[in-house]
Amino acid sequence: MKEITAIIRRDKLPETKKVLEDLGFPSLSIQSVDGRGKQRGMVCNNDLDPDLPDSYCTPAKLKKTPATYALEHALPTVALFVPKRMLTMVVPDDLVGKIVKSLIKLNQTGKTGDGKIFVSPIENAIRVRTSETGGEAIA
Amino acid sequence: MKMIRAFIRPEKEQEVVQALEGAGFPSLTKMPVFGRGKQKGLQVGPIHYDELPKMLVMLVVNDSDVDKVTKLMMDKSRTGFVGDGKIFISPVEAAYTVRTGEAVL
Repeated sequence: MKEITAIIRRDKLPETKKVLEDLGFPSLSIQSVDGRGKQRGMVCNNDLDPDLPDSYCTPAKLKKTPATYALEHALPTVALFVPKRMLTMVVPDDLVGKIVKSLIKLNQTGKTGDGKIFVSPIENAIRVRTSETGGEAIA
Repeated sequence: MKMIRAFIRPEKEQEVVQALEGAGFPSLTKMPVFGRGKQKGLQVGPIHYDELPKMLVMLVVNDSDVDKVTKLMMDKSRTGFVGDGKIFISPVEAAYTVRTGEAVL
């Protein structure tokens, strides 16, 4: 068994869920997280404004509230984060490649901020309702 | 590669993030969580807090950087009082960058 943790764009989530369901993997956990990558929270190369050059980078938009305003001015620098969705699913070993491939295909826009996918081993799984363990629990 | 999950005090999060950025690890994911430890929460007078807010900071690093990152996180998030949190390290077999589709961290 392997655990696939995918951190993807928020707007790609419905499509991703639908395609995973069509592939036969309806079970997954979704969490709202904040993340950043090599760009340190800057939104680079975005397609919000086509007139901007490709090299243009801007801080991720912080919602202006008194709290964030105070935070921005109280600290020397504020770490920037971009809201993302984290999907976690546990799948049998032989299907990892297929799922990772379809996740990449779906979520690829070619712009920075597409996210990361991590694959890690899981020793055992237990279905609480029936006490089934191992492969039966995730089937 | 290893995944490091650190449960730290929310007020220490900025400090930890900036220290990690300074050490060359800008990429991480964070989420607010609620949890408790050995002390079963917190007792303040008659009020018992069963679960306390923490920040979960998650990042994946190469095997050789694990000690450096955990040490840095511990230094920055330690206050010496109960509730400083825990750090868990687990193996990661593969990491993919979605934009390029390559299997590199």
